[in-house]
Amino acid sequence: MLLGYSLSPFGHDPDAWRQARDGRLLGFDALLGQVAAAEAAGFDFVLLSDRLGLRSSDDLSSVAVPFEPTLFASALATRASRIGIIAAASTVQHEPYNLARRFASLDLISKGRAGWLVVTDDSDAGRESEYVDVVTALWDSFEDDAFLYDKTAGRFFDPSKMHVAHHKGPYFSVRGPLNVNRSPQGRPLVAHLLGDSNKALAARTGDLLLLQAETADGLVTAAAHAVKAVEAAGRSRRGIRLLANIVPIIVSGSQGTDDASGFPGYDQAIRIAGTTGEITDQLLELAAAAGLDGFTIFPPTLEMGQRFISEIAPELRQRGMTGPNAGTTLRDRLGLARWVHPSGLGEEILR
Amino acid sequence: MSRPQMKLGAFLMAGGHHIAAWRHPDAHAQAGSDIDHFIQLARIAERGKFDMIFIEDAAAIRERNPDLASQAARSTAFEPLSLLAAIAVNTSHIGLVATASTSYTEPYGLARSFAALDQLSGGRAGWNLVTSASELEAENFASSGLRPHSERYERAEEFADAALALWDSVEEGAYLPPDGKAFADRSKLHPVHRHRKHFAVDGILESQRSPQGRPIMVQAGASDVGKDLAARTADVVFAASQTKAEAQAYYADVKARLAKYGRGHDDLKVMPGISPIIGATEDEAKAKYRALQDLIPDAVGVALLASYLSIQDLSAYPLDGPLPEMPQTNLIQSRQQLIVDLGKREGLSIRELARHFAGARGHWQVVGTPSQVADAMEERFLDSAADGFNVMAPLFPSGLEDFVTLVVPELRRRGLFRKEYEGRTLRENLGVASPNKG
Repeated sequence: MLLGYSLSPFGHDPDAWRQARDGRLLGFDALLGQVAAAEAAGFDFVLLSDRLGLRSSDDLSSVAVPFEPTLFASALATRASRIGIIAAASTVQHEPYNLARRFASLDLISKGRAGWLVVTDDSDAGRESEYVDVVTALWDSFEDDAFLYDKTAGRFFDPSKMHVAHHKGPYFSVRGPLNVNRSPQGRPLVAHLLGDSNKALAARTGDLLLLQAETADGLVTAAAHAVKAVEAAGRSRRGIRLLANIVPIIVSGSQGTDDASGFPGYDQAIRIAGTTGEITDQLLELAAAAGLDGFTIFPPTLEMGQRFISEIAPELRQRGMTGPNAGTTLRDRLGLARWVHPSGLGEEILR
Repeated sequence: MSRPQMKLGAFLMAGGHHIAAWRHPDAHAQAGSDIDHFIQLARIAERGKFDMIFIEDAAAIRERNPDLASQAARSTAFEPLSLLAAIAVNTSHIGLVATASTSYTEPYGLARSFAALDQLSGGRAGWNLVTSASELEAENFASSGLRPHSERYERAEEFADAALALWDSVEEGAYLPPDGKAFADRSKLHPVHRHRKHFAVDGILESQRSPQGRPIMVQAGASDVGKDLAARTADVVFAASQTKAEAQAYYADVKARLAKYGRGHDDLKVMPGISPIIGATEDEAKAKYRALQDLIPDAVGVALLASYLSIQDLSAYPLDGPLPEMPQTNLIQSRQQLIVDLGKREGLSIRELARHFAGARGHWQVVGTPSQVADAMEERFLDSAADGFNVMAPLFPSGLEDFVTLVVPELRRRGLFRKEYEGRTLRENLGVASPNKG
């Protein structure tokens, strides 16, 4: 079972800051502390969400990371050495060339642990689709063995293994090539938070699909639709990873789940309340019923995050659902193959 | 310390500033994609108590011809802000200055990115504002081609004002106020509403207030409008000057512009580039220089010279003849003039000019012993040609290591450079005014 940890300074409950009113929690060291704990507990990736996404807003969010996520990811990559790092970035806030550079740089800095959570503007599917294609084409600017570093011949790379995209589409005009070395993963992982408006794009371009539903039945349906969309895009279910977003609400044995009622619902995640054993059972049942590869947890409070790490993660390990992961890159960890450069398949780099 | 204090920046670049640095036997050829290499360089500079490290940028490959591009290590690099974010959490005092273009980014995204670097570093971020003059960059962002020089600066002026306004949209202590009623204290948030010709900006910056008030502004503009923009908005200017007279003229010109924006002489630090090649003896330094120059392929040197001159091709002219006459272009006019002047003044051939510029890329080159290098710096510092220098080591890490272990102690003996950092933020160490205090 794969596990992701969605990072926030106080917890994902909009009122969580009231219980932990400490400005230091907005700082890098406290956030790194959370990530280090998740890494030690065997989590496969940390998700850096960005409430901002599409527009500037009226104040800092108490539930999203307090820094621009792609740069926060770069900083984190040098201080946490194993966990994957998936940063949200909007297709509206960055030009495709600039965004491609950020993530290609992050993949080098993290030594192959970078992922991009694509945040789209739902108003124009054609633009979003073209945007992702331009970014991924730029990531294929150099073949895997393009860089020679041949001092004697004075040849830094083999020019025949450089690909200039020369993209001219309805929305973007981008010459290329990307001026960053080839990614350690071939290219960074692409993740989507699955919704109605981005389903086709997510199914066509995503390596990791994050499902959001409010009920178990809703989750089973959403997973079935996602698989159908992936297959309709001509891809195999085995080539992607499907994870559900969950809000864990852990109660002690004597409390009963009534104590969980203080936590409101979330539209991006399903609430799972109970004791350690009950939650673990529910995760296993949900994974089996919906055919999931794992879960991304959205701790409502820092305490719930800590309890998931110290109680449920060990329980999952004990039941053999998680274990040591030898993968060094994020794709390795998720059991996905390294991205193969299209030249190896005899394809043009921009479809 | 009664003497005025010199400011020092370390201009970092993969294997070194010399165009052929990566081919040197001592060079780490993969330095440009090795984050640990850059963290090591930043720590060496921090050990030497440098004010800042500096990263240049181009949002494109720098050479259109694939064969020439494939011979230059500068063809690929880390995106500067990503690189400095990683360095920020592995250093404690040194300033972090990244180049970013006003032509190919938007004010909100850029202001937010530098705010993030400032938060991650505890107030050590700086933005080197450039308008980007290359056609190759333009082609990565639109089909309309490069904007004319005047329009680029008009956009840059508006961009800089929007970024400054966004950084000032959040006051100190705007979040988690002591009364505990709401997450944000709205009286400390000042949404920006600016609708101008190039940009519409609405809202506040999604960040806490910068620990140094706001990030340090850096520029290198040498055209008339560029110098005015610097005098109005910048804390530091970089400059490429070959001779002392050129450096003094530039220094006097920029400083003279400060008064009309209500700023004092010391509110803007002028830091020209210096390319030092250091040897225990003068002969050793010269031998180091020759060994590097011999590694420059003529085709690469001449192509680089052509790109500085903004002309398509120089290969039609005899290598051992003079530069052809050429019209002033829309591009980086100041650097073009500098090259033409040098060629005429010293009667240099295309090959000689190409090697000269390929080596230090238009900056001031000093080849000598640590005390000779310190002499040269001291002279320009005391004679109103510079407030400090942006040090461009030909080879990394050795050139920077040499500077820190040999030249920095020499500058300290002369009372010209700090022994300890004055503060924790870049603004404190540079000694420039904080926007909080007007």
